[in-house]
Amino acid sequence: MSLSAPGSILPREKGAAPLDVVIAVMAFLAALALGASMVAQRTAQGWQSGLAGRLTVQIVPPAMASAQDLAHEADAALGLLRATPGIAHAEILNDQQTQALVAPWIGTGAVLAELPLPRLIDATLVPGTAVDTANLAHALKQAAPHSELDDHSRWIARLSGLAQGITWSAYAILFLIAVATAAAVSFATRAGLDAHHDMVELLHQMGARPGFIARAFERHYFLSTLGAALVGASLAAIFFALVGSLESAGIEAVPFLPPLGLKIPEVAWLVLVPAISGLIALATARLSVLAALRKIY
Amino acid sequence: MQARLARCESRRYGAGMVRFENVGMRYGAGPEVLRDVTFVLEAGSFTFLTGLSGAGKTTLLKLIDMTEPPSRGLVTLFGRDLSVTRRSEFPALRRRIGVVFQDFRLLSHLSAFDNVALPLRIAGKRESEYAQDVQELLSWVGLGDRMQAKPATLSGGEQQRIAIARAVVARPDLLIADEPTGNVDSEIGQRLIRLFAELNRLGTTVLIATHDRSLIEDMRAREMRLVDGRLVELRTARA
Repeated sequence: MSLSAPGSILPREKGAAPLDVVIAVMAFLAALALGASMVAQRTAQGWQSGLAGRLTVQIVPPAMASAQDLAHEADAALGLLRATPGIAHAEILNDQQTQALVAPWIGTGAVLAELPLPRLIDATLVPGTAVDTANLAHALKQAAPHSELDDHSRWIARLSGLAQGITWSAYAILFLIAVATAAAVSFATRAGLDAHHDMVELLHQMGARPGFIARAFERHYFLSTLGAALVGASLAAIFFALVGSLESAGIEAVPFLPPLGLKIPEVAWLVLVPAISGLIALATARLSVLAALRKIY
Repeated sequence: MQARLARCESRRYGAGMVRFENVGMRYGAGPEVLRDVTFVLEAGSFTFLTGLSGAGKTTLLKLIDMTEPPSRGLVTLFGRDLSVTRRSEFPALRRRIGVVFQDFRLLSHLSAFDNVALPLRIAGKRESEYAQDVQELLSWVGLGDRMQAKPATLSGGEQQRIAIARAVVARPDLLIADEPTGNVDSEIGQRLIRLFAELNRLGTTVLIATHDRSLIEDMRAREMRLVDGRLVELRTARA
């Protein structure tokens, strides 16, 4: 016949739609930030796993050096690498492979063939083993004076820093959105208390405890925020799905950035946005109402 | 039975369920609307409070339901001196009082059923526990077929009956009513007064502010009259 929960005592306010829109927009932005942090982490992990466990040796061509000298140094370095414990595989990249690496920046024209490209040796480490790169670099210099050893640690550190930066930026954005949500709900709750002053006074006179009145408001704002945030997070999920489908179709949604589409387990994390928004609204409404009621109780 | 209940309640509350001693009341810096009011409402009693408009009847009721504190004097409720009672204890005391407001004060967005059930929900009861009582009470006041109606769709008399049903549904220890029959015809008015009398017979202390002389004559209950903010005892229950 009727709802027993205190929340149903509070009517839906006229003019509540703007708050719903604000909450939905903030939830959309929060979901975007959360999704971006997940994309950043996943991409950084992919890059790191691709680079970790590998070494690259480049034989930089000195001025006036002949191709034979370069090949000789490359062979010496390759021999040393293959003889080094902990290195599972080492291979010199041929000219086509080397040119393919720089083609995205320089192109595939005739000029590429005339460029003094370094000889590259790609080495793979035995999983779980560590190689003393300082000693190895020293030995390589002895065997091939123009060699340079790159264990990618600098890139891995940079990528890790970039991913952490993006992640912490996303957390900062989420925090700001949470604060903004709390402020909006606090404002709306106080406006609601004013709008329903007569009802609150009646409940007070009938012996309702502050907690009873607070529950009516917190339930009301929890449900309305949950609904609005669900819409915002759903729109963000649709956005990621659209971007993902464009990328699947071979269309680069945002040039130079890694794929922005979310995987299904990552989309599930977006559910946290409406859930946490609702809890923020619940706590904010309760604290706001109890603070206001303290004046009349 | 009634006398025994009254004696029991008297022992329970000592010097009466409601006790005023030299109570004065003024709003802000205005003149005193109540002056040196002294009376006792014994547990289980039935009392009419009469007086012309503006005599202070509503103010006196507000002091009893703790809406306003007195400017001076002593107010004791259920044996508790309200001036030294912690405010956190007021909700529990208020839940023992049923109030019929002169302006009804129904919640416009709730149905008749939900308005009547409000005190029971505040008391923490579930709908399954009170649904039958609320339906029976609404039927008793002649609104059994209007349970889901919103107050705006009801006449003034119907709203008043809902307000009365809401005040009595939780079987309060003390019932105070401000002109409870002001908007109903005499037949319904008599019926409502019989409801108050029945509650009183079951042990509820009743105080009704009214200017309806016919009700007062029929009940032959105690009558206290306010004249210019001063209380005049006109008739005791046994007179």
